[in-house]
Amino acid sequence: MAAFAQKLSADMNKLRTSLLAIAFLAPTAAGAQRVDPVYVEDRFNQLQQSITLLTGQIEQLQYRNQQLQQQLEKMQADYEFRLDQMEKGKGGGTPRPPGGAQAAAPVPAPTAPAAPPPGAAANAGGDQMYNDAMKKLQDGDNAGAERGFKAFLQNHPKHTLAGNAQYWLGESYYARKDYQNAMTAFAEGYKTYKASPKGPDNLLKLGITLAVMGRKADACQVFAKFSQDYPRATDLQKRRVDQERQKNGCG
Amino acid sequence: MRTIKAFVAMAMMLAIAACSGQQEQAAGATTTVTPGSVADFRQNVGDRVFFDTDMSNIREDGRQTLTRQAEWLKKYTNYQITIAGHCDERGTREYNLALGERRANAAKQFLVAQGIPAQRIQTISYGKERPDPVGSDEAAWARNRRAVTELQ
Amino acid sequence: MMLPRRSTILGGAALAAGAAAVPARAQLTIDMTRPTFEPVPIAIVDFAGDRVGADIANVVRNDLQNSGLFRSIPPGSFIQKDVNASAPPQFPAWRQIGAAGVVVGQVSQAGGNIKVDFRLWDVVVGNQAAGLSFTSQPANWRRLAHIIADAIYKRVTGEEGYFDTRIAYVAESGPGNARVKRIAIMDQDGANSRFITDGRTIAITPRFSPTLQEIVYMAYAEDRSPPRVYLQSVDSGRRELLGNFPGMSFAPRFSPDGTKVVMSISENGQSDIYEMDVRGRALRRLTNTPAIDTSPCYSNDGSQIVFNSDRGGSQQLYVMSAGGGGERRISFGEGRYATPVWSPRGDWIAFTKITAGAFGIGVMRPDGGGERMLASGFLVEGPTWAPNGRVLAFFRQQPSSAGRAGSVTLHQIDITGRFERQIPTAGDASDPAWSPLIPQ
Repeated sequence: MAAFAQKLSADMNKLRTSLLAIAFLAPTAAGAQRVDPVYVEDRFNQLQQSITLLTGQIEQLQYRNQQLQQQLEKMQADYEFRLDQMEKGKGGGTPRPPGGAQAAAPVPAPTAPAAPPPGAAANAGGDQMYNDAMKKLQDGDNAGAERGFKAFLQNHPKHTLAGNAQYWLGESYYARKDYQNAMTAFAEGYKTYKASPKGPDNLLKLGITLAVMGRKADACQVFAKFSQDYPRATDLQKRRVDQERQKNGCG
Repeated sequence: MRTIKAFVAMAMMLAIAACSGQQEQAAGATTTVTPGSVADFRQNVGDRVFFDTDMSNIREDGRQTLTRQAEWLKKYTNYQITIAGHCDERGTREYNLALGERRANAAKQFLVAQGIPAQRIQTISYGKERPDPVGSDEAAWARNRRAVTELQ
Repeated sequence: MMLPRRSTILGGAALAAGAAAVPARAQLTIDMTRPTFEPVPIAIVDFAGDRVGADIANVVRNDLQNSGLFRSIPPGSFIQKDVNASAPPQFPAWRQIGAAGVVVGQVSQAGGNIKVDFRLWDVVVGNQAAGLSFTSQPANWRRLAHIIADAIYKRVTGEEGYFDTRIAYVAESGPGNARVKRIAIMDQDGANSRFITDGRTIAITPRFSPTLQEIVYMAYAEDRSPPRVYLQSVDSGRRELLGNFPGMSFAPRFSPDGTKVVMSISENGQSDIYEMDVRGRALRRLTNTPAIDTSPCYSNDGSQIVFNSDRGGSQQLYVMSAGGGGERRISFGEGRYATPVWSPRGDWIAFTKITAGAFGIGVMRPDGGGERMLASGFLVEGPTWAPNGRVLAFFRQQPSSAGRAGSVTLHQIDITGRFERQIPTAGDASDPAWSPLIPQ
């Protein structure tokens, strides 16, 4: 842009020279069409001032544009960082020793209950029940947690945390190696609360449970479904699905 | 804003050009010095034009003065002239040298456009090095933003 | 002139001792970048062995005190009067008067020259913090004192000193409408001032070459021809025109390696920036706009040039590559920005800023960020860096009244803006240009 303005100025200088030449030479050639040199000079100065003004405005705009871009990049980096932190918080809460059946650790650990969204009427009174059940799960009281989540789901089937409760109900079975009930719970979670934030986790854990039960073909089908239904799952979930597909020799 | 100013100035300039004959008569009436002398030029024509802050375009009052200067210089062709550009003290030294040069050049271009040969005109800038008058108020600064035509 | 020879005594030992005693040394060190700190209290004992010893101590006291980082304890309050220059002082006696450091020295004759040994004792820890020895002609005793002050400054602040330097400036005299303006050079502390131009025409904007052997400045001619840039040898006084152009040439400044001078040249009211090869006098145009491009200054590594231009409607700062091209505006604050000067460390660009009613001296990062104002007033202008990039000098002009020109004085200020101090000059003075450290 600066180069453009420079070239414009250079061109204008040439223009002025030739106009002034005309202004002085013209009278002898064609007196009637004489160009007033003061007028030429004025026009020239006006145009030059316009260029200066434009140059200044362009500089300001470029500067503001650059600032906005930097701001945007900062916000984007911050946003990605936060998302990453949230994923880590979900995925890495309670590490379990590798090996054995326990190696198939639940993707979301019970340390980070999803923050309940702003309360709707359906949520009334449910939060306490949910939190109590979650507390039991964290304390290792799987049977207590099972009762708690079941009661919560009976009383508040439309609660925003219902999908989560269904998932943790499955987890309470899974932890006790009750894979049959776990499978049912996760399948129910996927079917009923497909669009809930825990939908992908329910489906993923359903596949993992099927795999643990030796139903590899079913598990592979579930993992394929996962990629179809949840293209916007988190990277962590997608990686886990890939791992599981590999582990179970899915095509 | 500037463009508007420039247009107004131009319109007025055209009006002045139409009645410049009267101007000369009026100036002639106050003559008490030898016509064609340096004193004549300073007293009856006016040797300096003034500028707005940080500007180098010739204002309306300056156009009148420079038009009179051009008429006078066409009549008394024995003089070479130097136009000295000056600034007020409200700028930095080096920039003001350049600004003074630009003011001197603006006055020169005006005279050239009025038909004074460029070869008769030299320019020099004093930046803010030669204040006249010496002072630190708006009135003094306004008088210092000037281009002075000196006869040789 | 015979330059002083520098040799260290106990240099290595002093360093080793210093490194071992980090925590306790706290009071004989100062971090000048911290927002608040107390000046380091220091006692400088008159140097023994020769009458000039007291003068040397005085110069050291002034240098350190004037930096704002030290408080020189008045010698009248010293308890230990008989300090042996080669033995440790009685530390409790110095602790009692609050000194963090004690400087002692010894002057001796060495075949027509004088030899000066000095030691800086750390009173807090009770050991030697620095010790050096110098030899020089007797006439150069002030330089020896400045070099010693630099060594102490470096030991305590961790920054290079700037006392063994000179300042070129414009000495002003006479009535406001016909001022005489002469280039002069003095020591950094105001001593040894001498004129470089005769004052028959106005001479302004002096700048040192990196070796201090030459200065460039702009001067008017005795006829009506435009003012031009001159190159002058400081010692011989021989001067030559730096290129003979039809228009005015002005705002010169050396490149960091001294091989080039960058300046503005005017033509038809347009001022552009040019680079001139000092030896071959080849001229190269670096900018070409109908605007005023001036006050160019090289970056510390010589790869870029910062300058001011009004191409966008008002004076702003721009940076371009040293060979021209890649021009980009870096100043976007309120007001007009002028006279940019790149720090010798490369970290800051100092400038003059003009806002509605006042002038200011400020610094910004080379990318235009981090702008900070250090000083302001009716008219402050023309910052110049001390070679350590931690201190600036500039000039202050007071308003004129009743047809009398206001006084013009030189000032120095550190880059935190905390300590401003007037640099003494015999008369009115403007346009300071701080030299690099004098080559030893």
